[in-house]
Amino acid sequence: MVIIEEVIKVEDEFLSLTNQRAIHWKRKEALILSDVHIGKTAHFRKHGIPMPDGILQNDLERLKALIIHFKVKQLLIVGDLFHAEVNADMTTFKLWIEQFEDLKIVLIKGNHDRLSKQLLKDFKIEVETELQILPFVFVHEHDDSHNNSFTISGHTHPGISIKGKGKQRLKLPCYQLSSNQIILPAFSLFTGLNTRSQPKDSICYAFTDSSIFKF
Amino acid sequence: MSNFKDSTGLQIINKWMLEKAQAPFPFQMQTWQRYANGYSGLVVAPTGFGKTFSVFLAVVIDYLNHPENYPKGLKLLWISPLRSLAKDLAKAMTQAVDEIGLDWSVQVRNGDTPTSIRRKQERLMPDVLLTTPETMHLLFSMKKNKRFFKGVKCVAIDEWHELLGNKRGVLTELAISQLRHYSPKLQIWGITATIGNLEEAKNVLLPYPDLKITQVKAKQKKKIDIISVLPDEIEVLPWAGHLGKSMVDKILPIIEANTTTLIFTNTRGQSELWYQLLLNANPELAGLLAIHHGSIDKKLRNWIEDSISSGYLKAVVCTSSLDLGVDFKPVDCVIQIGSAKGIARFMQRAGRSGHSPYERSKIYFIPTHSLELVEVSALKEAVKQHQIEAREPMVLTYDVLVQFMVTLAVGMGFDSDKLFNRIKAIHAFHYITEDDWQWCLHFITKGGKTLHSYEEFHKVIKDEDGLYRVKSRRISMLHRMNIGAIVSEAMLMVKFFFGGYIGMIEEFFISKLKPGDNFILAGRVLELVQIKDMKVLVRRSKAKKAVTPSWLGGRLPLTSHLSHFMRLKLSDALEPGRLEKELRFLNPLISRQDKHSHIPKADEFLVELIETKDGYHLFMYPFEGRLVHEVFSALMAYRISKLKPLTFTIAMNDYGFELLSDQPIPISEDNISELLSKDNLMDDVIASINASEMASRKFRDIAVISGLVVQSQPGTRKNNKSLQSSSGLIFRVLEDYEPDNLLLRQAYTEVFNQQLEEARLQAAFDRISKSKIILKRAKSFTPLSFPLKVDSLRGTMSNENLDKRIQRIKAQAFKID
Repeated sequence: MVIIEEVIKVEDEFLSLTNQRAIHWKRKEALILSDVHIGKTAHFRKHGIPMPDGILQNDLERLKALIIHFKVKQLLIVGDLFHAEVNADMTTFKLWIEQFEDLKIVLIKGNHDRLSKQLLKDFKIEVETELQILPFVFVHEHDDSHNNSFTISGHTHPGISIKGKGKQRLKLPCYQLSSNQIILPAFSLFTGLNTRSQPKDSICYAFTDSSIFKF
Repeated sequence: MSNFKDSTGLQIINKWMLEKAQAPFPFQMQTWQRYANGYSGLVVAPTGFGKTFSVFLAVVIDYLNHPENYPKGLKLLWISPLRSLAKDLAKAMTQAVDEIGLDWSVQVRNGDTPTSIRRKQERLMPDVLLTTPETMHLLFSMKKNKRFFKGVKCVAIDEWHELLGNKRGVLTELAISQLRHYSPKLQIWGITATIGNLEEAKNVLLPYPDLKITQVKAKQKKKIDIISVLPDEIEVLPWAGHLGKSMVDKILPIIEANTTTLIFTNTRGQSELWYQLLLNANPELAGLLAIHHGSIDKKLRNWIEDSISSGYLKAVVCTSSLDLGVDFKPVDCVIQIGSAKGIARFMQRAGRSGHSPYERSKIYFIPTHSLELVEVSALKEAVKQHQIEAREPMVLTYDVLVQFMVTLAVGMGFDSDKLFNRIKAIHAFHYITEDDWQWCLHFITKGGKTLHSYEEFHKVIKDEDGLYRVKSRRISMLHRMNIGAIVSEAMLMVKFFFGGYIGMIEEFFISKLKPGDNFILAGRVLELVQIKDMKVLVRRSKAKKAVTPSWLGGRLPLTSHLSHFMRLKLSDALEPGRLEKELRFLNPLISRQDKHSHIPKADEFLVELIETKDGYHLFMYPFEGRLVHEVFSALMAYRISKLKPLTFTIAMNDYGFELLSDQPIPISEDNISELLSKDNLMDDVIASINASEMASRKFRDIAVISGLVVQSQPGTRKNNKSLQSSSGLIFRVLEDYEPDNLLLRQAYTEVFNQQLEEARLQAAFDRISKSKIILKRAKSFTPLSFPLKVDSLRGTMSNENLDKRIQRIKAQAFKID
């Protein structure tokens, strides 16, 4: 796994966008990510659709590598940490989370996060519906009520479709950056791409396994 | 056999026919007799000669002779590919049994049947049930379904040629096997039109050694008049769609001169366009002209079909939705707009007119660009020589098998060993191995062979009595919704804001529209109001102009039979025969092609290099159909880029393909034959195509059929949102985590057999290696290259790596959407 970084300056803060679907905020020793959808594969299996659990393992290992690489103290997850109900994937996650004793995890609740408070407590996850760490407001989904602050959100699974000469076309996941918000790509690889929605006047940082491109 | 000739049953039928001033055709008589003697078989007859009554009356006669052999309940199962067929067949059969004086009930059961009638049927099955392969499988998914079928004496597969070449054929093979399991003495009869591989068709339908098997062939032949409609003047640079308007004036008099005309187009989008064009040209047709295609509301379609039968409509613009089905008596004329892509399809469409036995069929061909006139000429030749395409049966379709296994598990449960033995007897699964079977079992019980056994995966469970069953009601429900082998694009229902259903539209199309935009469906201009709960709400629009929906798919490639005849005709085109008016008409175009480039003779292969401001174009004309050209072009791109790394944009149609590059293409007389060499053909093909990309596209259907992707039901509130995923995503996941998954392997096999058409590709390269290769250079587009330039599907092929490619696209003036 290659970690490529692109450092941007927003609201006088330096944020490092990585090609591994998470933002490193050095000053706060934090990793910001979104849409992990833990439990999605098990949810599918439960409904008779066989999905290998290596998907989750892979996502978690990637996250672990990022935590170690950047030596972060906290995870800020802007929603959809969990996909659906309590299922076997939670056990995997619990085992994984126990590796990190001092890691603080804050979840900003997303539309998929319907797990009981007790369970999240067991995981030692702090839950917020919205979180302000100046100069940013962390939410799952940006809406017009946030227009006066700078938000960092997820939810849309942003992607970009690039057209070149001769009708060449490529689809890549991306970060979307505009004057008042950043939208993160979905962290889990078991998610689709949404190339249709994009905030006004935004810049896209698309990435591959080995590069980041600015559009 | 004299006793059959004297039998009461036959006498009753003969008398009944005599009253209607009819006599049985010899093939009907033959079928009746063979059936009475316990045979199963295949009836080969053109439409309009009473093929239905060959098998249907065979059962009636046998019943009249031996009523004691027939218990109460279902006697004859009639499986046909089309729902619309069933209704009118039932009508005809009911009329027959009434007139004969039998107290049989004939009923239809398919997706359109109301629940109340279905429940009634489940209490007491009718004597004759007309149904579809999908509905058969739905019946198998019911508890205690065996009781429905125990007494069935005969199963008839109507229009077998329509089922044979696709997965619905496999569904049918499986259904027959299951019926034989319930009713071992079952007689099986297929009814088919003439196809290129009748013997094989028979063996696929009747692979069972314990059956007495026969084939009955009608001697009657349908006479077809093919009339091509020539435009007023010829375009030397032809392109598809361009001829539209000018041809409308030619169509109106044809409609005028005939009682009822069916106008066939190739896509739903085209049918909408032509409907508008015709109405605008002659507003008096309003009310007399209808439009019929698969996305139009069922009720409206039924009304249209009834109105054709009653002669109320003057003309109907339609797609393949009316290829098959009931015989519309008043139809005396057919118009084909654009290429029919195949000989069999063309003849079948022609056969929709002049339906009574000795009438002639009449078909007008309207070219959408002038080159298609070569195709008519080729069609005429093929029809004269009675050359018809074969339908290749599908084998080892694991997706259908897995679906069937779960269907049985939802229904009565199955015993693994016994089912395996029955499956092996079916043509499609002759070559299935024990390992494959075990994999399928694992897949439905544990989620796959190489995976850990997941506790939460409880799709199918081995019960205490050793039978495999589905226990969860929710899984049963999800599965029943998913039964079948037709995978449609994600479709949304279109409804008026104040109620009233119009039809279906692809999500792909509608997602590009904004509220307030106008589009055309079912011949009406509609304004989009909003999209809600998988429904598109619209209101009538006064706008004059609107977009016509594009429906994905439905682009059939030219068949190899037809392309063979096309090459021959093109080669003669410079000196057409006296009677070949199409070729004579094309002369200016052909001469221009010959002057600026070349007209390839039958033993030549033309390659054109053209330089324009767009870049450097390479054109080749194998005339092998779109699919083969897709592979052919990728192969050429690969072989060229070994000489020099280049990125190409690829375009293709049924006649040839184009490679476009922004840099010069290193091709000359010196290396061209090497580039077209048949050495290392398949190795290069595998290296050249993005097999994984192609397989991923094929995997879409497989994922849906095998239950890996849950299809959302249009119009239903519950769309199982938390289970939505794209087949592309699942494909990627399985490639990473379970590369030996049988369903993945199937996707690759389908790519090779269908997409790559390996056999056809080999044959094409064989032919080219024996041909003289003609390399021509030009400064502007030639008549052959122009349609390719304008009207084509595009793909890209690159040997640059991803990052480099993005850099380069960025360096060019890029566009984002």
